[in-house]
Amino acid sequence: MTRPVGVRSEPLLEVEDLAVVFHGSRGDVEAVSEVSFSVRPGEHVALVGESGSGKSVTALAVMGLLPPRSTTVRGSIRYDGDELLDLDARSRRDLRGAEMAMIFQDPMTSLNPVVPIGVQIGEVLQRHKGLRKTEAREVSGDLLGRVGISDGKRRLKEYPHQLSGGMRQRVLIAIALACEPRLLIADEPTTALDVTIQAQILELLRELVSGTGTALVMITHDLGVVAGLCDEVHVMYSGRVVESAPRRSLFGEPRHPYTGGLLGSIPRLDSARGEPLTPIPGSPNDALPWTHSCAFAPRCGNRVDKCTVQTPALRGSEHASRPGDEQALRCFNPLDTREAS
Amino acid sequence: MSAATDGDDADPLLKVRGLKVHFPITQGILLQRTVGHVQAVDGVDLDVRRGQTLGLVGESGSGKSTLGRGILRLGVPLTAGTVEYDGVDIAGLKGERLRKQRSSMQMVFQDPMASLNPRQSVETLITEPLRAHGKPVNSDTVGRLLELVGLPRGAALRYPHEFSGGQRQRLGIARAVALEPALVIADEPVSALDVSVQAQVLNLLEELQERLGLTYVVIAHDLAVVRHVSDVVAVMYLGGIVEEADSDDLYQSPLHPYTRALMSAVPVPDPEVEDHRERILLRGDIPSSADPPAGCRFHTRCPYRQPTRCDDERPELRVLRPGHSAACHYAEQIARGDIEPADAAQMVGTS
Amino acid sequence: MSIAAPTEPSGAGQPTPVADVAGESLLRGAWRRLRRSPLAIAGAAIVLVFVVVALAAPLLAPYEPASTQWAGLVTPQSVPGPAPDHLLGLDSFGSDMLTQLIYGARQSLIVGVVSTVLGLSVGATLGLAAGGFGGKVDTIVMRLVDVLLSIPSLLLAVSVAAVIGQSQLSVMIAIGVAQVPVFARLLRGSMMLQSKSDYVLAADALGIRRRRIVMGHVLPNSMGPTIVQATLALATAIIEVAALSFLGLGDGDPAVAEWGRMLVAAQERFGNDPRLAVYPGVCIAITALGFTLFGEALREALDPRQRR
Repeated sequence: MTRPVGVRSEPLLEVEDLAVVFHGSRGDVEAVSEVSFSVRPGEHVALVGESGSGKSVTALAVMGLLPPRSTTVRGSIRYDGDELLDLDARSRRDLRGAEMAMIFQDPMTSLNPVVPIGVQIGEVLQRHKGLRKTEAREVSGDLLGRVGISDGKRRLKEYPHQLSGGMRQRVLIAIALACEPRLLIADEPTTALDVTIQAQILELLRELVSGTGTALVMITHDLGVVAGLCDEVHVMYSGRVVESAPRRSLFGEPRHPYTGGLLGSIPRLDSARGEPLTPIPGSPNDALPWTHSCAFAPRCGNRVDKCTVQTPALRGSEHASRPGDEQALRCFNPLDTREAS
Repeated sequence: MSAATDGDDADPLLKVRGLKVHFPITQGILLQRTVGHVQAVDGVDLDVRRGQTLGLVGESGSGKSTLGRGILRLGVPLTAGTVEYDGVDIAGLKGERLRKQRSSMQMVFQDPMASLNPRQSVETLITEPLRAHGKPVNSDTVGRLLELVGLPRGAALRYPHEFSGGQRQRLGIARAVALEPALVIADEPVSALDVSVQAQVLNLLEELQERLGLTYVVIAHDLAVVRHVSDVVAVMYLGGIVEEADSDDLYQSPLHPYTRALMSAVPVPDPEVEDHRERILLRGDIPSSADPPAGCRFHTRCPYRQPTRCDDERPELRVLRPGHSAACHYAEQIARGDIEPADAAQMVGTS
Repeated sequence: MSIAAPTEPSGAGQPTPVADVAGESLLRGAWRRLRRSPLAIAGAAIVLVFVVVALAAPLLAPYEPASTQWAGLVTPQSVPGPAPDHLLGLDSFGSDMLTQLIYGARQSLIVGVVSTVLGLSVGATLGLAAGGFGGKVDTIVMRLVDVLLSIPSLLLAVSVAAVIGQSQLSVMIAIGVAQVPVFARLLRGSMMLQSKSDYVLAADALGIRRRRIVMGHVLPNSMGPTIVQATLALATAIIEVAALSFLGLGDGDPAVAEWGRMLVAAQERFGNDPRLAVYPGVCIAITALGFTLFGEALREALDPRQRR
């Protein structure tokens, strides 16, 4: 999968030292901290993690969709050079849909059940491109065709519940891409779908995004999806990035014990039946606080004494294979690359 | 007619023949008319040998969960067919006889939170089934079972909501094996769990199978998971089994077009594999089991569909190789390469 | 809070050391949350005051109830207001207002509690039968409930009074009967919902007998909304008692202390002495509020989705 990615092109999205704090009745919870990554135009980046990793919260922060009163967002999110956190709500709303779009996990709940899909697509076109209703309808019909729904014009009148899960997700993609955003964030877009439908949707995403040169941020827990789709992978655990690497490096030579652990514990379709799985003990709930330890320490096979009393910092790795590739690791005692199989 | 025969002359523990589960679709408020049926399971034959693990894999509408529940006579009506368990046909059992039979065949559920009564302590939820069947309960019973599934003895006094997802699933497993069943059907045992925890539970299931001599039917939509834990895998589509083979055999040479498509769709966490694999994309969406296509149920999406037989004749599950059967009229030709797949049309919505 | 993390990175089967601590059941968790909730505390405080006043009426009230010994002081134009020996003044019949209010609390408590208990016990029994047996029993019970629901509660109360005769008893029965369908539906609905849960299916799979499943699994998990409704029903009952006596049902004697009836009497004199209506009105409102606050807090605390 080779696509031209500008070697030295300016990043479209630059997230630096992002922190998100939720203010609840029981105190503050830091859901995300010290998260940095960038996305170049046309690049596919993955944020990988399980529950509690903070990957979805990060995406919502970038889109500006976190509830303003109960969350505090610190750090820097620069889109095309502009600092998003300095913008007011209205300006951020203008960006959403037009420049950056998001598709969510559950197509059932992401679409308004009482509004026909044609209207839902048309809304975006009218809002951001100033199209009139009839024009919007034309374009909507074409968009449905582009996402693989036949007989687009006729289907504009249909309601979400009349469509299957896969088709609803296609509609969501159509809405997201309607205004040709330069950045698309997909939050677990296929998790709720059947495997064969997932393959269709991923293929569709792949084509559309390559065709339009849209940058993609894929948020998922599924490393298999990442392996086939994304150039650069950031692995998150308990709110922080623990490893960043280009995909071949990550899968071939994972350095963080969590990454290695995940890869070793997932049953692979192509591995022989007898091969044992090496699970990661404990669960994501067993994390220690990042403030004075490594959150992954309780479950880590590579743990040393330092890990429970000091916070490992995120460091650029010396194994960067290409200039401009982001490589980073947050670990006191990483996996020895020669040993990782 | 099933593929699971090879050398072992012992009677299979579980023998299912012609099983059908049709749910009536009713309409009307005062007088409920039956206007149709959801054919969730439509004619399934299965053999499961003792100590073996059979994997049932399929997507939505495949009927795999319904089949699992049908076999256990759990909340679904058996429209037709027989379920021979340990030589006894349990399809017609009712009332107290059915209740007693249950101690020998158990289920592990998908959602560990929903399948545990939130108001029962661990101790209660483990001992309740034992008492219901008059089995002895002593001071060590609960502790022993907890240890068996890798939980601390102190967990006995706690409540389900105090545990993590993986631990709750262990509780569900402990409860299921408390009765010392011979057969355990696991319905999506790991799909509700975090990725890093799934392997723990899978390993536990394997360990228990060896220690307790259990026979498993593992139901999952994740083919990689099913392949890993099963000896024999049966692939289901819209209420029927379309292919059945040894786990490795299925992977090496899938004979049914659906199996091939399913396998090509499963993401593999390896960039090399992902970049170079053949992708078989299917047309359209999965049809509804209330209105399944005529003939071969898969023909509407099949890239290998032929002009004759596929749309009007339902293929039988037939043995194509030792231990390997498939329900496709043209399986041999496809395997030999005589038939090429059509370009998967990218459009959906036409069926 | 989960079982402590393994101290050794271990494989699937290693048990982890943890103290033998009794776990926190849902009820205990609910109690803990209630203790901390300002809503619950405020509501409970009001309810407590109400109950204490009602029960200790003879000790708290300065005078005998319904005694009209100061009737002479009341003129067509005015009713004596607050004074040193009558802290809240007199009512239009010449009774001490404070005394009447205190004894009125007693009335409201008795009628409120009795009618709610009546409604709850009959309603819950019907709901249990419907939810537990299902099928024909369910249909019959629910149609009966529908019939009851279709009659406006006021009309129902009047009809009951017509049959039994006008008295405090008929008021209690009337309010109780009006509450039966609410409880029945609520419990039956909860039970139907819970019956579809996986844990009920699991209990069935384990071979647990049906009766035990209904009583030991479905019912305990269905009671939450019903309990909450009971507290809210008490609040409505208090208002309804007042409403019914305002309409002239209930005890015939106009001087008998009852908040609703005090409102009736206060009607005519509202122009000159609004406080005659304000005092009992405020009592009704605050008491109902207290029960409502507590009931809402209870609902939140019992919600199993709220962990710690």
